[in-house]
Amino acid sequence: MTFDLKRMIESKIALRRKLAGRPVAEKLAMLDALRERAVALREATGHMPHSAVHEAPEKYRAGQNKGKRSKR
Amino acid sequence: MSSISQVIAMINRLEEDGVVERYAIGGAVGATFYLEPVSTLDVAIFVVFRPEAGKSLLSLQPIFDYLTARGGVIEGEYVVIAGWPVQFLPATSPLVEEALADAVTVQVEGMPARVFTAEHLAAIALQLGRPKDKARLLLFVESGEIGTDRFKAILARHGLDNRWQEFERTFLSGAK
Repeated sequence: MTFDLKRMIESKIALRRKLAGRPVAEKLAMLDALRERAVALREATGHMPHSAVHEAPEKYRAGQNKGKRSKR
Repeated sequence: MSSISQVIAMINRLEEDGVVERYAIGGAVGATFYLEPVSTLDVAIFVVFRPEAGKSLLSLQPIFDYLTARGGVIEGEYVVIAGWPVQFLPATSPLVEEALADAVTVQVEGMPARVFTAEHLAAIALQLGRPKDKARLLLFVESGEIGTDRFKAILARHGLDNRWQEFERTFLSGAK
């Protein structure tokens, strides 16, 4: 644990490089998990935070809960 | 097998069966082949359509018909495959046409997956210019995944030099 901003940034970059270097199949599986989490958050809060940079703003859980759309 | 791998398997079959001439994965899923995974809610598949005899307008209908016959569900402009909304996008610009032609095949769990090159993904992000595209472009620059000469040649061919200079001024000046 450090409060040294430079070291924190370096550590973040190192973690991102490590993630980027994982096998593609493993990274695609991570996308599955990330999407599940994003959809769950969206359903729980009714919207995505406007400040967040995220992919296409679909407002439903695809293929599941048909007809039950979350609020914007 | 991950859900996205199931999507890729289905798209491979779509191409093998001649419904589309060629496909390539773009967007955030395409970027994941080169960068760390970033959360996304859909899969962008760029396609070269197979022209239908006697029809001058391109139609997604053959794709939708093929996929719904194999369990896909249409929701709006998406086809949901293995839980993922998949959007099929035609090549609407010379840059995307070139990206489709130059796309590379990567093996995923023993299965081929065609994806845009890192340089084309970065150039398309620059061209689109939405906040999420700029964020993605920054990730590409920081990652060192894009070949500078190749990237700059793409920018020159597609008239994106000025936009790149502006991007550099805004986001990269002063950066290491």
